[in-house]
Amino acid sequence: MKKRTGMVPWLFAAMVVLFCGSAAIGAEANAQAPALAAPTLTLDKTEINNGGTIKVSGQAPAGQPVFLEVWAADHTVRANRFDSEVDKDTGKRPYIFYITEEMPAYYKTFVPKELQPKIDAAKKEGKKWSYSALLKDLGADIAYSVPAKARTERYQSTLMASVIGSRGDQLPAMDEKENRKRSMQLVKARFQSIDKVVAAAVDVKPDGSYTADIKIREGLAPGKYKIVAVVDKKAKSEAATFENKIAFPIVYLENAGTSLNIFYPFVLSLCVAIFGVLMGAGGGFIMNPLLLALFPALPHTIVAGTVTPTVLFSQGSGIYNYSKIKFINWKLGCGIGTAMLLGGFIGPKLTEMITLDQFKFAFGWILIILAALMLWQTMPGYLARNKKEQSILKEFKKRAEEAAKGKK
Amino acid sequence: MKIEFWGQEFHVNMVVGCIGGFLIAIMSSMFGFGGGPFMVPLMTVALRLPMYLVVGSSLLAIFFNTSVSTMRHYQFGNFDLYFFLAMFPAAILGGYIAPQIAKRVSPLVVKRIACVGLILLALNLLGVY
Repeated sequence: MKKRTGMVPWLFAAMVVLFCGSAAIGAEANAQAPALAAPTLTLDKTEINNGGTIKVSGQAPAGQPVFLEVWAADHTVRANRFDSEVDKDTGKRPYIFYITEEMPAYYKTFVPKELQPKIDAAKKEGKKWSYSALLKDLGADIAYSVPAKARTERYQSTLMASVIGSRGDQLPAMDEKENRKRSMQLVKARFQSIDKVVAAAVDVKPDGSYTADIKIREGLAPGKYKIVAVVDKKAKSEAATFENKIAFPIVYLENAGTSLNIFYPFVLSLCVAIFGVLMGAGGGFIMNPLLLALFPALPHTIVAGTVTPTVLFSQGSGIYNYSKIKFINWKLGCGIGTAMLLGGFIGPKLTEMITLDQFKFAFGWILIILAALMLWQTMPGYLARNKKEQSILKEFKKRAEEAAKGKK
Repeated sequence: MKIEFWGQEFHVNMVVGCIGGFLIAIMSSMFGFGGGPFMVPLMTVALRLPMYLVVGSSLLAIFFNTSVSTMRHYQFGNFDLYFFLAMFPAAILGGYIAPQIAKRVSPLVVKRIACVGLILLALNLLGVY
């Protein structure tokens, strides 16, 4: 009995040896593909006021480039893209509409300073730059994770569906890889320029310690932002958090994904409304391009979608005033109005499908046509005819007003 | 189509009117403006209607367009409430102030200024400068 219990420690010892041996083999296997130690990350402050600079420092394994992934954690925006480019493999145009509601309101990758020439080279490509190619070129695709998880829906658009103003048939959800690929295109569609998504700011020392000045520009979403330092797909630091604070009169526009001083659009709208009435055109013509020119951060869909209801009121009051003196032909107005109703149903769908550049291009030409119309209206020939028309107009209006008064 | 307005009868070519109106509506709702400056020339030049008939009726026609496109933009999530609240009161206020100024300036001068302004804006959008 005593002998047998005496065996137990030996057995135990044998097991320990065996276990250690297998563990050692495991360690050897790991050594073949060395796992990089996760970098550390510290911020010098946790709060900024409507933009500012945050100094980031930390320690990463020596000789490795360090990428910083920064994103707004509290606010997401919508990003959409209409894919009508010819597919290289099949030679067909896919006509697929991609949309996500989960794009971070701010997303940017900071790369080592040495990579600046590569960014400059990508900028030379102009508007045709590719986000995914740029990330790959910089080696920053390992740090690309947050938008990749944004749930993206896609719709198969057809000409018929667009005509009736529908997005088309929803296609089955994409797998992780496809979602990641499409999300990169959406990042570009949303943030437009290279400067908004990539910057060379990380200063990596030979011993692996790094510092970076993270510049957060004005007019971004408020709330918490997160930073992660990345040296490898698996070697990521803990997320550090800082907060971007904004105060009245700077207001965050939820759908536009930007914050701006609320008095700017107020003053602008006031001036444009006055000028619009004076020149006899709705303010929308001037308001839209002005907003696009002055606040490049605003998406064109939001600009168009928000200016439209603004002009609705002035039209309504105009109709009311004319109808009081019976100066509207309801048959004519409603007849043409029905045709316009259909057009108004389709238009907003198209806004969504075009890119900002196409929007600007088309609007530019519309404005030139409008300017030509205006010029024509100041020509002597037109004025002479118009004078007659105006006097008839005044005469009829006077009669109408008197008739309206007489009834009362 | 025949219409009657203040004791006079007019012939309106509704086919031209509707096609023109439809195209203008697509364009204006797409880019977020009213469409009046295009509607008035369409009705006076293409349909040969007198100005006094056009002013009110064109407003009614574009009102249809604007209300539907507002609805659709809202449906697509293109509408931003705070942004709207910043612009809307200003637009109304502007509507009250403008007639006071209108008496003192010549519409011809305003139109010429507008012309230059529009060209500048257009060039900006087209990326010329």
